Amino acid sequence: MHRELTLSRRPALLFAREHLRSALTLALLITLPPIFVIAASAVLSPFATALGGNVAGQQASALGAGWAVAFLAGALGYFQTASSRDADRRLARAGLGAFRTATGRLLSSLVICVLLTLVAATALWLKQPIPHLAHTLLAMLAYAAIYLGIGTAVGAVVTDELAGSLAVVFVFILDVFAGPGMAPPAHGLGQLLTPSRYAGELLLEAGAGTSSSAADWRQAAISVLVALAAALTVFWLSARRRT
Amino acid sequence: MAKRQPQATAQSDGAPPAAPVLVVDQLRKSFRKRFTQRVAVLNGASLIVRPGEIVGLVGENGSGKSTLMKIVAGMMHSDSGSVDLSGRLGYCPQVPELWDKLTVREHFQLFAAAYNLEPAVAEERQAALLDELNFGRYLEYLTVNLSGGTRQKLNLALSLLHDPDLLLLDEPYAGFDWETYLRFWEMSEARRDKSMAILIVSHLIGEQSRLSRLYTLKDGRCIES
Repeated sequence: MHRELTLSRRPALLFAREHLRSALTLALLITLPPIFVIAASAVLSPFATALGGNVAGQQASALGAGWAVAFLAGALGYFQTASSRDADRRLARAGLGAFRTATGRLLSSLVICVLLTLVAATALWLKQPIPHLAHTLLAMLAYAAIYLGIGTAVGAVVTDELAGSLAVVFVFILDVFAGPGMAPPAHGLGQLLTPSRYAGELLLEAGAGTSSSAADWRQAAISVLVALAAALTVFWLSARRRT
Repeated sequence: MAKRQPQATAQSDGAPPAAPVLVVDQLRKSFRKRFTQRVAVLNGASLIVRPGEIVGLVGENGSGKSTLMKIVAGMMHSDSGSVDLSGRLGYCPQVPELWDKLTVREHFQLFAAAYNLEPAVAEERQAALLDELNFGRYLEYLTVNLSGGTRQKLNLALSLLHDPDLLLLDEPYAGFDWETYLRFWEMSEARRDKSMAILIVSHLIGEQSRLSRLYTLKDGRCIES
């Protein structure tokens, strides 16, 4: 595994560099987190009340920062999958191999997710004190990883960029507005509509300055692992030969 | 106009022909047209290519030339049949498959890593290819900012970076100017003379005189002419 990671390092750096050279990506990366943080603090509380939730104050701003990370990571995952299929497949067949190509894609995505998290955390820090910094950062990273998985999964089945982007937005809206703080807890099938709920729980607790339960950490970790496995599988399938 | 090349250089002195570097045997491939209908594109296509040959592949639009090339290059599965390859393979696809926001230099770096080339060797070959194809001044350009012809030069150069034994060229000169087109053939013939095997999809009748052999893809089968 260590050897695979080493061999995937250069492709990962170049893939990340390619993504960050997009002017639109950079503009969204810089502007979206502050907009989400400010908008969340202003409007989220009454909106949550209307939906049956109770988020307010500093928790709302923290949740807004997490949503910004989730939204951008979902778009990142989608475009990492949808925009480079043929070129990645050529690189894999040239000798890099499907797994190393996929690992390179995943590593590059994770690098960008860390960057997203740092930008969103900075936006949140400028708005309000962050009592549990590590707790907050990990919750945001969990949001990023979960939406990376969702974005890549959408990219695997929807090739049209407009349709794919809308699909990611659709999943995001369903998830966050039915998620913790915004609506009563979901049960059964309803839980499937809120894949980021455990990351949301962590972030709300961090925003309130309280610690999270071991069960919440465990569930969030499972969600992250499932999402990263899904992302790696999609990248691997994209880099393999077509049927 | 250049003369047609002998079938295989090894045959001219009575020696047995060199072992093929590529044997394609009875390839079949169909694509789904609607939910229940399938369209057969390759219907038992077979061909061979030996070292030191430039073999042409012609056929009407939609006859399956690019599909055959993709299967040989390992980019696509066949329904049945076999592809036996020996040695290193270079593949230059019809449409340049590149990353828009990476520079020409970064493309060379990625493919050098894929081909597992030592940095010094990769640098040397990169410099030689940039010189041969005359696009060294674009080394730091993002590919999105390159002209179609220069993208095609990069596409070709990437397939040659590891000095392959078999080179698959799927209409490699789309967008080339006349001078580059002639240069392309000089490069191909020089490599053939060093025993590289080349399979090239072509539409131009005038090129047939440059080929060792020619296959026409018709009704999903390769007919040698």
